[in-house]
Amino acid sequence: MSRAWFLYRKDLRIELRKKESGASMTFFGALVLVILNVAQGPGRRLTPETAAGVLWVAVIFSAVLGLGRVFARERENGCISALLVSPASPGTVFAAKACVNLTLMILSQAVLVPVFFVLFGTGLTGGPLALVPSLLLVDAGFSAAGTLLSAVSAGTRRNEVLLPILLFPLILPLVALAVKATGSALAGRALAERLPLLEPLAAFGLIYAAAGYLLFPFVVREG
Amino acid sequence: MAAGAGEPFLTVEGLRKTYGGTEALRGVSFTLDEGEFLCLFGPNGAGKSTLLKILATLLRPTLGTVRIRGFDLEDDPEAFRARLGLVSHQSFLYDDLTARENLEFYAGLYGVTDPAGRAEELLRQVDLYDRRDSPVGAFSRGMQQRLTIARALVNDPDLLLLDEPYTGLDEHAASLLRDRLGALHDRRRTIVMVTHNLRRGIESATRLGILSRGRLVFLSHRDEVDAEGFEDTYFRCMEAP
Amino acid sequence: MTSRRVPLLPLLSSLLLPAAVAMVFFYAPTERTMGVVQKIFYFHLSLAAVAFLSFFVACVAGVLYLVRRERRWDAWGAAGVEVGVVFTTLVLVTGSLWGRPIWNTWWTWDPRLTTSLILWFIYTACLILRSAVENETRRATYAAVMAIAGFVDVPVVFLSARLFRSIHPTVIRSDSVGLEPAMIVTLVVCMAAMLVFWAALVRLRYGLHLQEAVVGDLERRLGES
Repeated sequence: MSRAWFLYRKDLRIELRKKESGASMTFFGALVLVILNVAQGPGRRLTPETAAGVLWVAVIFSAVLGLGRVFARERENGCISALLVSPASPGTVFAAKACVNLTLMILSQAVLVPVFFVLFGTGLTGGPLALVPSLLLVDAGFSAAGTLLSAVSAGTRRNEVLLPILLFPLILPLVALAVKATGSALAGRALAERLPLLEPLAAFGLIYAAAGYLLFPFVVREG
Repeated sequence: MAAGAGEPFLTVEGLRKTYGGTEALRGVSFTLDEGEFLCLFGPNGAGKSTLLKILATLLRPTLGTVRIRGFDLEDDPEAFRARLGLVSHQSFLYDDLTARENLEFYAGLYGVTDPAGRAEELLRQVDLYDRRDSPVGAFSRGMQQRLTIARALVNDPDLLLLDEPYTGLDEHAASLLRDRLGALHDRRRTIVMVTHNLRRGIESATRLGILSRGRLVFLSHRDEVDAEGFEDTYFRCMEAP
Repeated sequence: MTSRRVPLLPLLSSLLLPAAVAMVFFYAPTERTMGVVQKIFYFHLSLAAVAFLSFFVACVAGVLYLVRRERRWDAWGAAGVEVGVVFTTLVLVTGSLWGRPIWNTWWTWDPRLTTSLILWFIYTACLILRSAVENETRRATYAAVMAIAGFVDVPVVFLSARLFRSIHPTVIRSDSVGLEPAMIVTLVVCMAAMLVFWAALVRLRYGLHLQEAVVGDLERRLGES
């Protein structure tokens, strides 16, 4: 447990110093929101469902940008080998990395969601707080699956291109559910109505947390 | 690692490693007692790095076993790793962290009781204490190499593995490495080093071995061979088809 | 490695497939409301079943590869993914051809369609991944991980797709089968033919992958000496 904490703290320290992933995630996400706002045309109001779609496009595109970086760092100077010969198990490394990714996603969304409400908020009944449950659940699933696949893509020659190609098909159902859940939250409906949508989101998170924990060691080991 | 009665410290038995269709190791066996310093020589592609990676638990052998004090490596790799040090071609350092942060991180990962104290001690040993708060990315190559050595010693390992540690090392780092290895050796720590550098190897090792085409073709105690005779053997192995 | 024995599966499928086509067109009755378009259903359902089977094979082969580290499991996995992607493509095409006259649209976000499409994306990504890794061991490991990660997604994909409105006909329910006896016989023959054809393809691709790997070994050995 304390090993995971050291790993987590190390990554977060680098992140706070270089502001590589978090800052570019937030910046790019805001950029996507503005682009979508421009594309939507001036003065038009979106239905809650469409607005939810806009938010999720910005969230997943910005998140995938940061994910690759967090793992690629371990390949530089061969640090991943040092972690593998340390007493920390690969599963622990996976858990720590997934938590770093989760933290980065939450931090960037803390900026992106207000930006989203500024740009698209008119006519939406639900406020930012209503989005928190679905955002957190998707973030958890996304960082679990994303950590596993960023380890895969970091081992190939086409790291940056490959990560979204591998990750997006897997999280497609997650996004579909999230859009529905967020749409109903933005329309101001009660949390109880969204529960059937949130359960599969949680299931996805659990499945990929387990799959990642079990498969990650195979990905990072040489053979 | 508790001492098993009558067992050598390190036992390597019938180690084979096949990548695809090529055999990197074709049956390597030897034993080392505690406190021995084995230096392995051999031409490129002889399987030296593969052997070291298997000892470091980075690779799994296709066949064969590695035992530490009689216990199979596969049974409890984590306890073994806790007492293992590794110096490789790569620095294993995070460029964006300072020297002190790098060492403190690794000390914490190894469960060292006082990471900050241990980091300070090591920084002094490798003459980097004055630069402890500079990011490693800004270090010169020689400084990075010194820090790499310090990093491998962060857990005061029982078994230290070194893969070509003298390649590209400047004079300061090389003499520092020699001192550190001497200090470890005096404290009866076991060392396995793989190198091209005959002079460096012969001057510090207690056992000398030559690996060629995946086989250990020569293994002897340092005092049983004279330096020149060993060099002849080595060059014969290098030339052998 | 190479055997000179009779290619049993390809031969058998070359007999069964034409027989199945003949049965679809000359034996099975034409459906009353949908007309001749309905006949595509026999192939559509058979294709979908074996496509899913391929991904299952790829997942099992992936697990076995990670545990055993033997080249043949990677070859089975690669064959499963390749054939699965081809068959899923055909499922999507035949579904679209049927949907156009019946639903008056090429595409709709129905659970089964969505599931097939997502599976197509996941496993095509798998193929792209294979092409992006040079080192054999690493490629096999990554492909195995991706095949497993893709397959465990299936329950979530289906669960999420179910929440969308469905207009897909449910032909086979748990209590009854909404088909005439002659149609059922045709469907069974069609499925058997497709299964044999599928097995023949997978077996061929498997052999080819193994041979490619052996050729790679030989090339490397030539380069060394």
